[in-house]
This record gives sequence, C-alpha cells and structure tokens, in this order.
Amino acid sequence: MSDTVQASPDATAQNTLVPVTVLTGFLGAGKTTLLNHILTAQHGRKYAVVVNEFGELGVDNDLVVDADEEVFEMNNGCICCTVRGDLIRILGNLMKRRAKFDGIIVETTGLADPAPVAQTFFVDEDVRGKTRLDAVVTVVDAYNVIQTLDESPEAVNQIAFADVIILNKTDLVDEVALATIESRIRSINAVGRIHRAQRGDVPLSDVLDQGGFDLQRALEHAPRFLEDTSHSHEADVTSLSYEVEEPLDAAKFQAWIGAVLQEQGADILRAKGILNYAGEDQRFAFQAVHMMADGGFIGPWKEGEPRVSRLVFIGRNLNRPQLRRGFESCRAK
Amino acid sequence: MSDTVNDTIPATGLLERRGAMRQMEGQITGCAISRDSQQVAFATGEGDIMVADRADWGQSNAWNVMTVHDGAILAIAPDAAPTGFLTGGDDNALRRVGADGSVTDLAKGRRWIEHITTWTNGKGGVIAFASGKQVELRDADGQTTLKVLDHPSTVSGIVFDAKGKRIAASHYNGASMWFVQAKVDTVRPLEWKGSHIGIAIHPAGEALVTSMQESELHGWRLSDGHNMRMSGYPSKVQSMAFTRNGKWLVTSGADTIVMWPFFGGGPMGKPPAEAGGLPGVMCTRVACHPVHDIVAAGFADGSVLMADTGAQRILPVCIGGSGAVTALEFSPDGCCLAFGSEDGRACVVDLSAK
Repeated sequence: MSDTVQASPDATAQNTLVPVTVLTGFLGAGKTTLLNHILTAQHGRKYAVVVNEFGELGVDNDLVVDADEEVFEMNNGCICCTVRGDLIRILGNLMKRRAKFDGIIVETTGLADPAPVAQTFFVDEDVRGKTRLDAVVTVVDAYNVIQTLDESPEAVNQIAFADVIILNKTDLVDEVALATIESRIRSINAVGRIHRAQRGDVPLSDVLDQGGFDLQRALEHAPRFLEDTSHSHEADVTSLSYEVEEPLDAAKFQAWIGAVLQEQGADILRAKGILNYAGEDQRFAFQAVHMMADGGFIGPWKEGEPRVSRLVFIGRNLNRPQLRRGFESCRAK
Repeated sequence: MSDTVNDTIPATGLLERRGAMRQMEGQITGCAISRDSQQVAFATGEGDIMVADRADWGQSNAWNVMTVHDGAILAIAPDAAPTGFLTGGDDNALRRVGADGSVTDLAKGRRWIEHITTWTNGKGGVIAFASGKQVELRDADGQTTLKVLDHPSTVSGIVFDAKGKRIAASHYNGASMWFVQAKVDTVRPLEWKGSHIGIAIHPAGEALVTSMQESELHGWRLSDGHNMRMSGYPSKVQSMAFTRNGKWLVTSGADTIVMWPFFGGGPMGKPPAEAGGLPGVMCTRVACHPVHDIVAAGFADGSVLMADTGAQRILPVCIGGSGAVTALEFSPDGCCLAFGSEDGRACVVDLSAK
C-alpha cells in the first residue's frame, strides 16, 4: 500500500509505455459488441485482448488471452489493495512479444469491481515500467441503467471508475430519458466523458488513446465549485471537485493527500487532479485509486490557460468542507 | 542490504575472451543446456529456438535458429533425456526439440504453458509442466500422462526435489507439495497469504522457498512447517537458486547478489550476505555453479558477473551495453555459462580448461 505519491515516469517515457484500455460494463450492456467494433475497425493498429470468457469474442484476433480474474490482497489482506495477479502475469508475458501489438484491451466480467484492475497498474513495478492504464471504459445499457444502478453497487462502482462512459442502446429510450440518465451518471461521476452509442458504434477516438494522464480534458468537464452545503455527507457515490487559484506547495499537498488516502481510501474510489505547484512551469497530474496514488509532470501549461489547481474525488461518505479546507491549506505561502 | 561497491571491475570480461554472442530478433525469454552439456538452447518471444552445439560455442554464426512456437516461448527446460529440450508457449503447446533439431508435439492445452521442469536420475525421469491451475506430470517419454494436479489458482512456479520424489507448485496463498509416485494424490498445503510468484527447494529438501509479489521471500522448513520470512528487497525477486551444497539461497531483486544463509540456524534471524554487485543496477537473474562455490548474476543493464561465495572475488563476464538479463544458466558439467537479454542478445561463455 502506498501512502505517498510515487513519481511516475516523466511525460516522454509515458509515450513509450503500452497503453492498456480496461473495458467494463454490466452483462448485456454491449461490451463484446464494442470490443468487436474496436477489433474490426480499420485503424491499422493491432491489439492484444485479455478476455474473461473464451469464445465469446466473435472476431479473429491474433492475440486473445483467456484470463480467470484472479484477485489477491496485497499486504496480508487490506481490502483496498486487492490486485489482479493474473493480469500482472499476463501483461508481463505479453510484453515478451511487445513488437506484435500497439495496445492491450482488458475486458472484465459484468460484475467485476474495476478497482483491482486499476490498482494493478499502481502496485507492480514491472507493469508500471512497461504499460500505462490509458482509460477505464464503462459500457452502459441506456434501457436498463437506472434500474441496474438502483440495484447493484457494482454498477455504481463501474461508473464511478470510468474515464469514458459509453451510453449504449440509445435508440431504445427517448431524449428525455437520456437526459435523466446522463444527469444520474454525472451525479456519480462528474468527470467521465459520456458518449452516446447504438450497438457500440462509437468513433474509436472516443475510446482508445484517451491518455490516462492527460486529465486536463477530463477535468474541463468538472463543474466548478459545485459545493452543496446542505449536507456534508453523501452516502451514495458522488463526485466532489475543487479548485485552488494560488500555486500549491508540493510537499504540503503530498502530505495532505497521503493522509486523506490513508484514512479515507476505502471510500475514495478515484481521485484525479491537475496541479499547479509553486515554482514549477509544468502541470502536475495526480491520480489515485483507493489508497494507491501516483503522479508526474505532464508538460507546460498552455498559452493563456489559467494556472488553476483542480482536484476531483469520486467516492462515498466524503466530507465536502473538510476536503476543501484541506486542499486549500496546501497553498504555498 | 547496503551497497557493496566493487571498484575494481575491469572494462572487459570473460565474454570477450572466451565467449560468443549473437543478436536475435525479439526478447530472449529463457535458456537451457542439455543434460549431457553438449547443447545450449535460447528461446525467444518470437517463438524461435537457437541451438549452439558444443563444438560451435565460440562461433555464433554456426548456431542454428528454428521456429518452434506460434507466439512467445514462455518456458524452456532440458529434456529428462540426456539430450534435447522441452518448450512451452503462449500458443498453449508443449514441444520437444531433439538434439538433431526435430520438433515433436507433446501437448496442446487451453492455457499458456508457462513452466516446465524435468527430473532424472539417469535411469528414469519425469516431466512436469504447468498450464493455468494445473500441473501435469508425464513419463520421460513425454507422451504418457502420470497425473494431473489441480491448484486453487494459476501456478507461478514448479520444482522437483533433488530425488524426484516430490513436486511443489507456488500459487496464491502459498504452495502445494505432492508426492510424484503416490497412488492417491494428497496435497501438503503450505499456506501463507498473498501472491507467490516463484519457487525453489533446498537440495537436501530442508526448506521450500517462494518469492512474493510484496518483494520478499517466504519459506517453510519442511521438517515441521516452520515459517521463514526473508525481506528487505527493493524490487520483486524474479530469480533464485540454492548453491549446490544448500548452504546459500542466492537471489536477484537488489543491486547486489543477495545470499541467505541456510546453515547455523539461518536464515531465521540472520542477515543475508552480499556477493558483490553493481551500485544502483538491479540484479535480475542468478544461477549457481554445479561444481564450484561460484554464482553468476545478470543485471538490468545487461551486465553479468561471476562471484565466489566464499571469498569476496568478482569476475566480470560482461559489463553493461544492453537490455536486462532475462536468462542465465550454467551447464550441468559447469563448463559453460549461457545468458540472454531483453533486447535479444544471446551469449555463450566457455569455462572449460583449455
């Protein structure tokens, strides 16, 4: 379990790492359809695919690996450090034939919690050294999603974890219903990018090469100062986003976020941020899954771009004012 | 594990004087030397095998390359017979490569074949391979299945004891030990929570040791099941080997060659010894000489060293200049050291007296 923010390879090294896309979604949402769409599309790129149910894949692909989703708990049983050991092994072996593919897609089972998959990319030095988590893509069935979210905490987690949400089967519901669904999704995950689709027909640029570390785009969607002071504790999964205009003290932020993740990591599903550190010309990207965090500089601020630090938490039982005060206390003097 | 700085490493090593090198396409995923010490074989991520006959160890252009698997070769071991090799790949196949270069299919399963080990006493022999959660034992002919052993999760390593009586497999939450010849298979479970990613057994059967995801080793004293913990590594231990007499367990995982004492009450309560290393460069592979008190170690920058386990002497084989060492073996007669790297370098060093 890492309670400190580890330095990640710098931005240039990030480009040589093999991108891994994690595909989640409830049974029947259209994961396999989307996967087939990705694999058959004319993009001239080759993907290794890690699937959980062999034979479901309807297309030929040179590199299909059947995985058993074997999770284990790191450090003698901390639930926040559950990791896909099989994925460490499979990715390690796939990297032995690195020249054969451009990226890797990992499909999870319908009921899977995305946390162990995501955490795998934080804990293993070899996985970190050769691959990067490009994005968690969650496929949602527009027709059933509201009911599924009401009944299943796994479905809520899958939305909470998503960098990209494919709202599939939009032909089965009307525009009013779609607006309701999108607002429900936004209430859980304010920063995931939502794309509407029918039969998984999304442009691949919406799914692949999302650049896990280029959070700027993601955070642009984050509503500003969405602070609802009527109640400070939210039992359901929700997103909290914060902004600080003054530069941050890097050491203060690391100490504070380390403590927050240590104490509340079980409730924090994901955290992401673009930070403006005092005395640094580059943007610092930060991300965490439960208690595991990493970060790195991702290049200079754009011309005319406001140098504002933004941080988003997605989780349960989060105390809005307390987190805001904590974040604001990281300002450099 | 503090730094053992060796500042007397000369710029060139044994490889230049007594060895040969050939650049392969793709990563070297493993190497093996036949039981009669006459052939060295390198396996690659492209599915190729390159074989060097003893007469040609010094002439790498004479080494013979052939394609054996459709995909990466994930495991290679000497056959239980005096000659030949067994290979397993991500095409789910187990194949035999004969001394004459003939390739025979032995098995084709539903999972990658990631681990192969063989045992022989010169008369009989056993072949074992791991595929997913199963370990299959076969007669030395490779065609007759003796038994299939099931495990709770994917097997990450297999090892026979020195007498070939027992086989042990590492997996999640510990290791399983089985009797090879038992009529009814009863597992001896050795339990320890976590992900175990590799396995080694003491040559006299005193202890079983596994490598763990959390960058430490776990061991069980086999007489009473007593737990041993060996920690302090900066990275995962990908490679470990007992010295021929069982005195030391030599491992990778630090920027020195780490050796745990298995004598005088150790390793419990004893610090590991260090047999030299390269400051700031991780050791990735180790091998123990079958005759002398010498260990070989490969490093993340492609360097290979030999070290004396008794005296503090280090002999460089080659220094730097390539990707991480991913394969390293001594021949059974101790006359050859073979190693390969992530960026496809395959090297053979002739250690025999000339």
